[in-house]
Amino acid sequence: MFSLHSIAGGKRAFLLFLAVLITALLLLPDSRQTPLQALGRHMADAIAIPLHTLDWMNQGVNGLWTRYGFLQQTQEENVTLRQDLARLQMETVRLREAATETTRLRDLLALKERLSFPTVSAQIVGRDPSNWYRSVVINKGTDDGLAVDMGVVTPAGIIGRIVKAYDRFAIVLLLIDPNNAVTGLVQQTRDEGIVEGTEQGFARIKYLPLLSAVTVGDQVVTSGLAGGFPRGLPIGTITKIERREADLFLSAEIAPSGDFAKIEEVLVVTSPRESASLPPMPFPLQPQARREAGNPR
Amino acid sequence: MKSLGVVTLVLLVVPIQIVLLDRISIAGIQPDVALVTVCLIGLYRSEVETVLAGLAMGFAQDLFSGGALWGNLCVKPLLGLLAGLARRNLVNLTWTVVLALLLGLSFLSGSALGVLKSFTGPSVTFFPATHGILLPQTCYDALLGLAAFTLIQRVGLVPRSANGPH
Repeated sequence: MFSLHSIAGGKRAFLLFLAVLITALLLLPDSRQTPLQALGRHMADAIAIPLHTLDWMNQGVNGLWTRYGFLQQTQEENVTLRQDLARLQMETVRLREAATETTRLRDLLALKERLSFPTVSAQIVGRDPSNWYRSVVINKGTDDGLAVDMGVVTPAGIIGRIVKAYDRFAIVLLLIDPNNAVTGLVQQTRDEGIVEGTEQGFARIKYLPLLSAVTVGDQVVTSGLAGGFPRGLPIGTITKIERREADLFLSAEIAPSGDFAKIEEVLVVTSPRESASLPPMPFPLQPQARREAGNPR
Repeated sequence: MKSLGVVTLVLLVVPIQIVLLDRISIAGIQPDVALVTVCLIGLYRSEVETVLAGLAMGFAQDLFSGGALWGNLCVKPLLGLLAGLARRNLVNLTWTVVLALLLGLSFLSGSALGVLKSFTGPSVTFFPATHGILLPQTCYDALLGLAAFTLIQRVGLVPRSANGPH
């Protein structure tokens, strides 16, 4: 029990009085608590300031923490996504390459089916080791029935002829090499000549008759008279005619049909003499030739 | 063991040149790695080894080339021999000396191959061939050789005793 003497004076008595007063006020009905509520409102307003501040700080810290965690997660996701992106890019490149290869092979297969003479398909595996010759190495050789002087074609036209054949590979001297020569025929005028490569990387048809009506844009095809090519395979388009007064023959520069820098697969004509002639239009005509075909001279 | 390394090099150089060097060609000109290799072998190994390596690499190059004559077979060992003889008479193998040597030997090789090519077909026109093939390839070969020489010196692929005069 507590002694009355001890709480009678001083601060303790005041505190006791205050406690009783507050209790009494709290026990009053709501309608009588208006002054208390007014006081409480001001107090609540005052308390609201630090409360909001603390809440803001709390939310800030919380947000910071959450954002940190989120960033951590994002970083991990970023790494994963980057890896996925690199993988998908590789996949896209591979698929694009596969699509291109498929197109090329489909063209080659279509050509193989159109041609009526036997051919062997081959892949180019390398280029000439020196800069003096324009030749390519193909991955088929005598084991696959290839031999020297056989003609090599692509869907665009003739590419060259085999100059060396080994068991498992062969060397194809390209049409644009000055050492190569193929008998050619101007499709529109039916004039025959010899097609040779030039040092500039083009081809030239020589020994055309001086009175030939050959014009720029005429198509040159193989004549089939000699070499490993049957008649009618495209060689290229005439781009320039050289007429010299002292010469007995005409010569003309040819832009070859094939892109020699980008050849990857070829067909080797193993026997050009098995068929008498090519089926009609084995190769799609160039625009100029298409015009001429509708209006033959 | 060293001879085995040389043999491996000989077997690898020409296939690399045929299959891969097209990718680093500049304006259609690719370096002659076999020539550079033979010259470097000539600088570090004996003349006999160099001539044999030159014969092997030249032969392999001609097998895969569209040319009818065995030009590389004749030229490559000769170049190796010249490189070996030059090395024998040099006191210090500096980069300027190597650059000059490679420039000279590559130009000599290109000229010889150009002349040989004229024997089998239409003659090579001198000026277009010189500025179109010969000079660019000479520069390319020399720079490649210099890079390989610097690498050999830096990495120390060749023991110090081999760096001194024979």
